[in-house]
Amino acid sequence: MTRALTLIRRRLVGSIFVLLIVVVGTFLLLEAAPGDAVDAYIVSTGGDAGMIELLRHRWGLDQSELTRLANYLWALLHLDLGQSVTFSRPIREIILERLPNTLLLMVSATALSFGLGSALGIYAGARPGSFRDRFLSIGSLALYAVPGFWLGLVLIVIFAVDLRWLPIGGIETLASDKTGLARAADIGVHLALPVAALGFIYLALYLRMMRAGMAEAWRQDFILAARARGLSRRRIVLAHVARNALLPLVTMLGLQSAQMLGGSVVIESVFSVPGLGRLAQEAVAARDTPLLLGIILVSAVLVILINLVVDIAYAFLDPRVGASEERA
Amino acid sequence: MSGFTISRRTMLAGSAMLLASTAMPTLGRAQTPKKGGRLVLAADSEPRNLNPAIVASNGVFFISSKIVETLAEASFDGKDGLAPRLAVSWEGAADGLSATFKLREGVKWHDGKPFTSADVAFSALQIWKPLQNLGRTVFKDLSAVDTPDDLTAVFKFAKPTPFQLIRNALPALSSVVPKHIYEVGKIEDNPANTAPIGTGPFKFGEYKAGQYYRLTKNTDYWGKDEPNLDEIIYQVLPDRTSAASALEAEEIQLAAFSAVPLADLDRISKVPGLKVISKGYEGLTYQLVVEINHRRKELADVKVRQAIAHAIDKDFVVKTVFLGYAATATGPVPKNDPQFYTSDVPTYAFDVAKANALLDEAGYNKGADGNRFSLKLLPAPYFNETKQFGDYLRQALAAIGIDAQLVNNDSAAHIKAVYTDHAFDLAVGPPVFRGDPAISTTILVQSGIPDGVPFSNQGGYKNGALDALIAKASETLDTSARTDLYKEFQKQVATDLPLINVAEWSFISVASDKVGNIANNPRWAVSNWADTYLES
Amino acid sequence: MSGLRRFLHTPEAVAGVVILAALFAMALSASLLFPGDPQSIAGPALLPPFQDWSLPLGTDRLGRNVLAELFHGARTSLAVGLAAAAAALAVGAVIGTLAGFAGGLIDEVLMRITDAFQTVPGFLLALAFVSVVGPSLGVVVVAIALSTWTGPARVARAEVLSIRERDYVAGARVIGMHPLAIAFREVLPNALPPVLALSSVIVAAAILTEAALSFLGLGDPNRVTWGGMIAEGRTVLRTAPFLSIVPGIALVLTVLGVYLAGEGIVETTAVKRGLS
Repeated sequence: MTRALTLIRRRLVGSIFVLLIVVVGTFLLLEAAPGDAVDAYIVSTGGDAGMIELLRHRWGLDQSELTRLANYLWALLHLDLGQSVTFSRPIREIILERLPNTLLLMVSATALSFGLGSALGIYAGARPGSFRDRFLSIGSLALYAVPGFWLGLVLIVIFAVDLRWLPIGGIETLASDKTGLARAADIGVHLALPVAALGFIYLALYLRMMRAGMAEAWRQDFILAARARGLSRRRIVLAHVARNALLPLVTMLGLQSAQMLGGSVVIESVFSVPGLGRLAQEAVAARDTPLLLGIILVSAVLVILINLVVDIAYAFLDPRVGASEERA
Repeated sequence: MSGFTISRRTMLAGSAMLLASTAMPTLGRAQTPKKGGRLVLAADSEPRNLNPAIVASNGVFFISSKIVETLAEASFDGKDGLAPRLAVSWEGAADGLSATFKLREGVKWHDGKPFTSADVAFSALQIWKPLQNLGRTVFKDLSAVDTPDDLTAVFKFAKPTPFQLIRNALPALSSVVPKHIYEVGKIEDNPANTAPIGTGPFKFGEYKAGQYYRLTKNTDYWGKDEPNLDEIIYQVLPDRTSAASALEAEEIQLAAFSAVPLADLDRISKVPGLKVISKGYEGLTYQLVVEINHRRKELADVKVRQAIAHAIDKDFVVKTVFLGYAATATGPVPKNDPQFYTSDVPTYAFDVAKANALLDEAGYNKGADGNRFSLKLLPAPYFNETKQFGDYLRQALAAIGIDAQLVNNDSAAHIKAVYTDHAFDLAVGPPVFRGDPAISTTILVQSGIPDGVPFSNQGGYKNGALDALIAKASETLDTSARTDLYKEFQKQVATDLPLINVAEWSFISVASDKVGNIANNPRWAVSNWADTYLES
Repeated sequence: MSGLRRFLHTPEAVAGVVILAALFAMALSASLLFPGDPQSIAGPALLPPFQDWSLPLGTDRLGRNVLAELFHGARTSLAVGLAAAAAALAVGAVIGTLAGFAGGLIDEVLMRITDAFQTVPGFLLALAFVSVVGPSLGVVVVAIALSTWTGPARVARAEVLSIRERDYVAGARVIGMHPLAIAFREVLPNALPPVLALSSVIVAAAILTEAALSFLGLGDPNRVTWGGMIAEGRTVLRTAPFLSIVPGIALVLTVLGVYLAGEGIVETTAVKRGLS
């Protein structure tokens, strides 16, 4: 137990530096961008020089970069994410509105790719080199090689337009006033296609890792011992081979969380899901620096927390981790 | 409805359709509008500020024009192309120093308070003149608004202002907002900017960011038995292909502003239950323009500019980039404008040999690699068509030995590069013609505009004679004299080519057959939709 | 059994190599078979495939030859993938080696920077970077490298940590070699194989990232890439599906080829190392 606490403490201290690098880096990157929030805004309105000056002043863009960065960090110290210039609303509010949608999408897609991926991986890895092994392995790779947006568009054409089984996008039926279970079911129906599109892309990852881990495990001594003991093949596969191969997949879950968030940018756009990824893309286009900073910060915290949970889980499962963490 | 529905073939047959459509009479089919129903339509962007009195742009009007009304709306058959809304009549004084508006009786704001001339005076003086993107130019000489009674507003100008300009500005620039809501606190921070309160047929319901806007029926609307619809929902669909899918899946009933890509229209027009409509945007003409940086020595030479004009096959652009849903341009005023357009200007036929000869003549000979010189070409990213025309222009320029490198910026970077940093040689822009050249057209070629002003002359073009002509037109009160000056303006621009006008286009709507009273005025998509209905 | 023979005995690996060879052939022959600008207008717009044998795969929205674009696109897509992978591996290997070999504060700082890059969603970083600097092929390559170098850095560091205690490293220290020389001459080459094993993943990710950036309108308009072709073809997915399917198939085959060949190489070398 103390080992887990030490791990958490060390991680949290390190995380503060990580977050600082992320914030300052993102800020500098967006400052270097050609055009600011006012330039992005006047695309749709036009306006004369006086109006533009007025806007820059109102949005605080006439202050120096350093002042704005200092102000931002100072506010952040008070856990204040600031005000979005394009939405003219508190950023915390905007992010809290979108975060659940993205989390739901990510968690479901991860569950799909992890669950189905490792199950198929076990199925394939139970007989390494067999036809089903090769077919599943290459088939999942081919799926991985399809650009996510294209897969999404094809799914929409088939399931929403031609068959009309599922809605074309969105998070729930518009202005339907549904509540409780009916609303949950409604959201589920709306997320089916985006979850499939996002989940299938990463399916190959878990499938192939599982399969590779199993191939490794088959060669281990204790499997030979188990075979020698005359255990059934099914029992060996599930209780020994697969179980051993599962550990690295858990680590992958943590590493993959940041990538999944990136992948959701495109999927949310294709399926009109009001989530963080799409919001981030809009923030970049609108040069809404504080909003993008807020999103990146929240997603970084999320990734750090997921990895912490994964590591703690791992520390309990594998005694060697604690030692290597001390060394690092 | 068949009169409005068009197939691609008929479009191609008459490429001057933009011209023809204004003259087409409104088809007054004796269909009894149905009451009730929810109209769901596609929205591709989410304007944050929904106050049309501050932000006069089509993106804002698309939603807010149903909530906040203007003094007058554009009309196919009304006098001077206008139909009354909050004003019932208007008249300009002969000296150009005042204009009198008689207002509609019995109009109420959505919160129940009466609408009066004080609201008009407040909107004009406190918002249009100091804050509105377009009003700052048009109403710059407005000094006071007298309100002799509740239903009369008299605009006073410090300098003579042509009433023709004021009249032409009414549909887009005269949104009236309630004084009693806006006189408290800073106008820019007023909550009504995101949840507008107006006099229109629909009330603002709710906005779920990233999802939808909901407007609900105003049961107290001044129009008799209007509106027909109970609700309007704008579904936010950010991806360009979503609108077509949503229409086919019957999740939405309307996609305006060409939300369905042009290349998909031919197919979708054959889908049962859907119709493609190109009417209803005559008052919102966009112009495809090649902006030129005259600081580049080669481009400062009029022969080079003429050569570029000759190198562009405008018919190909209309046919391929716009798939026929556009018209070729001759100058800075679009062909479909009923007041100012003249065809009596120099034109530049597609002629590669002539273009090459002009460039040789100008002294820019082809080098060993076949190139005369290189250019940086920045197509505006806001429309698919401007980008595609950029791809085409690069090829067209290659044919005359000009090597153009395309620069693909996002919107903010493009605005900064072209209008502030002048870091371009050629740019492709889509300026809007707003019914009068003085609103947003003359600044495209006028000199002396400060850096950073978008959609203005930032190419460093300076022509004293043209500047003088623009200045004279802006203070000429007599309508026909003023119109003649703008005809001369078109001639001079087409002669000296400070920029090259390639095509004029507008938008296309795709709607379910159930939607009635579509496209019955020249700014339909941004009008109030009081008479729009849905058949069950 | 030698590595090569072993490699050739794995059908997946052979298939991967054949696909890659075909791609390289396409890329190299593009200028010979389709001289001139592949983006020039060659015929009527949206001509379906197999209608006109001078334009066997038809034309796109502006009437450009899809087959010519496909060949020239092979060149850019492969270039983007390889360049991004090379950059990511180089940066990752150097930073990982420095961190692992130097230890202490340098290690701490470099690893926190690596953490920072790893916590930010890679695609978001690439998206922001390209929007900021402006989309050109070079920028896209840098953006992809920026979002993928952390993997190689971590692997390199872990390898270096285990190598630096070995005898020959201690020996180099004793004879007074400069620490940087030891790090890059003695340690890095030995730490490299597992790092290189990541290259196929990165090449594939790079090609896909380029496609996704094009989808969001952040491609280089002066060059044809498969990603850009798919992104442009998607607006006419229903009217002219071949415009996105043809480059889509090319993309899938490439990513498959890269993966399969990469995996074959890894397996072969892994076995070799295991035997030695």
